[in-house]
Amino acid sequence: MDVKAYIESGILEAYVLGSLTEQDAKEVQVNMLSYPEVAAEVAAIEEAMLQLAHAQAVEPSATMQDKIWNAINASQQNAGNGAIQAPFIPKVIPLEPEYRSQGQWKYAAMIAMLVGSVALNFILWQQGKEEREERVAIGNKIEQLQTKQKQLAAQLDDYQKAKTMMADTGMQTIVMHTMQAGHPMAATIYWSKAKGEAYVAMNALPEPPKGMQYQLWVIQGGKPVSMGVLPNNMANSPAMQKVDMQVNSGEAFAISLEKEGGNPTPTTVYVLGKV
Amino acid sequence: MTTPAATYTEEELVYLLKQQSREAFNYLYKNYARVLYGVINKVVYDEQTAQDVLQEVFVKIWNNIGQYDKGKGRIYTWMINIARNAAIDKLRSKGEIMKGKIRTGEETVNNLAQGMKTEQVTDAIGLRKMVAGLKPEYETIVELAYYKGFTMDEISKTLEIPLGTVKTRMRSALQQLREVFKK
Repeated sequence: MDVKAYIESGILEAYVLGSLTEQDAKEVQVNMLSYPEVAAEVAAIEEAMLQLAHAQAVEPSATMQDKIWNAINASQQNAGNGAIQAPFIPKVIPLEPEYRSQGQWKYAAMIAMLVGSVALNFILWQQGKEEREERVAIGNKIEQLQTKQKQLAAQLDDYQKAKTMMADTGMQTIVMHTMQAGHPMAATIYWSKAKGEAYVAMNALPEPPKGMQYQLWVIQGGKPVSMGVLPNNMANSPAMQKVDMQVNSGEAFAISLEKEGGNPTPTTVYVLGKV
Repeated sequence: MTTPAATYTEEELVYLLKQQSREAFNYLYKNYARVLYGVINKVVYDEQTAQDVLQEVFVKIWNNIGQYDKGKGRIYTWMINIARNAAIDKLRSKGEIMKGKIRTGEETVNNLAQGMKTEQVTDAIGLRKMVAGLKPEYETIVELAYYKGFTMDEISKTLEIPLGTVKTRMRSALQQLREVFKK
C-alpha cells in the first residue's frame, strides 16, 4: 500500500469525522494496526477535533451535576447484581495527632472503626459474590475437562490396540486402495493369518449415504466371501474394529457399498487390496 | 474529605472511574462536562434535549468504562464520541435530520444556526474568529459529518459534489484546523 497517498486521500479525516461506512471504518482500523504512520495521523486528527471541542465548550446549568449523579445511581440499581463492580478501595483519612486532644482521638477512632467495618462488610460481600461466580465457572470447566478426558481415553484405547497389533510380527497390513476413479479412498486390514484374526479401519472412506452400509469381503479362490457389514460411524475415522469371523485364507480384501444389512455378493466395490 | 488533586493523567482517570466513587464522578464532571455539553450543543439545539443527552452520556461513560480500550485511542476522544453519537441518535429519533436532508448543505447549516440561542451564536462567532481562515465549505463539511452524522455519500448528495471532493475537502479542513491549533 502507498501509505503516503492513503494518508493524503482524506479517508482518515472521514474516519475521525465518523462518516465512513462500518466496513470502511474497519479497514482503516486494520491499517492503523499495520502502519504506525496511519495510526499517528489518526491520533493527530483526533487531537485537532479535541481542541475544536475545547474551543466550543458550553457550561451546563448548575443543577445538572447532582441530577446526573442521581441518574447514575438509579442506573446502577437497575443494573442489579449482574453488573461487575470494581473492588472497593478504602479511603485513608490522614490524622494530625499533635493537634488533637484525647476526645478527638476517641471520636476519630470510632469513625475509623465504623468506616472500617462498613468497608470490610462490603469487601466480604463482594468477595463472596466473586467466589460464587468463580465456583460456577470452575464447575463448568471441570465438566468440559471430564468430557474431553473420556474422549482422549477412548482414543488412547484405540491407539493401544493398534500398537499391540503392530507389534505382532505375524500381523500383515493390507492397504485397500480405491476402485472408483477420481475418488481417493482407502481402508486398512490388519490380518494375522496364523490366528485367523483380522481388524479393519476405514481411514479414508466417506460416510455412506442414508440407507446404505459398507460390507467387508475376503476373496478366496477368486470368489468374494462376505465378512459382514461395518458400522457406519467407523467411516472416515481411525477407529478400528475386530472382524467377527475367522479368516484363515484369502488373496485379497475389499469393501463395497451395499444396502443396509448387506448383500450376498458385492455391488459397488469401493476399495480393494491384495494380500 | 480531601479534595482531589487538580489534574489526573488519562490513565489515572480511567482507574479512578473504575472505582466508581462520588469523587471520581465529581472530577469527571468538573473537567469534562463543559466540553461534552459543548459537543452535544453542536448537534441538538433544544436545551432540554441537550440536558437529557448529557445525562445519558455520563451514565453511559460510567457504566461502560470497562469497555474502554486504551489501544484504540485517548479516553477523551472515546468520551466525546459517546456524546456525539448519543446526540446524533437523539437528533435522528426526533426526525430533525430528515428535514435537514432535503435542503442544501448551506441552508441546513443556516437553519441550524437560527435555532441557536444567543450565547451559542456568540460562541460560534468566537470560534469562527479563532478558526479564522477556515473556509465556509470546509466548515460545512465538518459540521455535516461530525455533528450531524452524515455519511460521505449523504454529504456528496446534499452538497452536490463528487465523493472524491468530499474526501479532499475533509483533508483540507483538518489540515487547516491543525494549523490553527498549532499556534
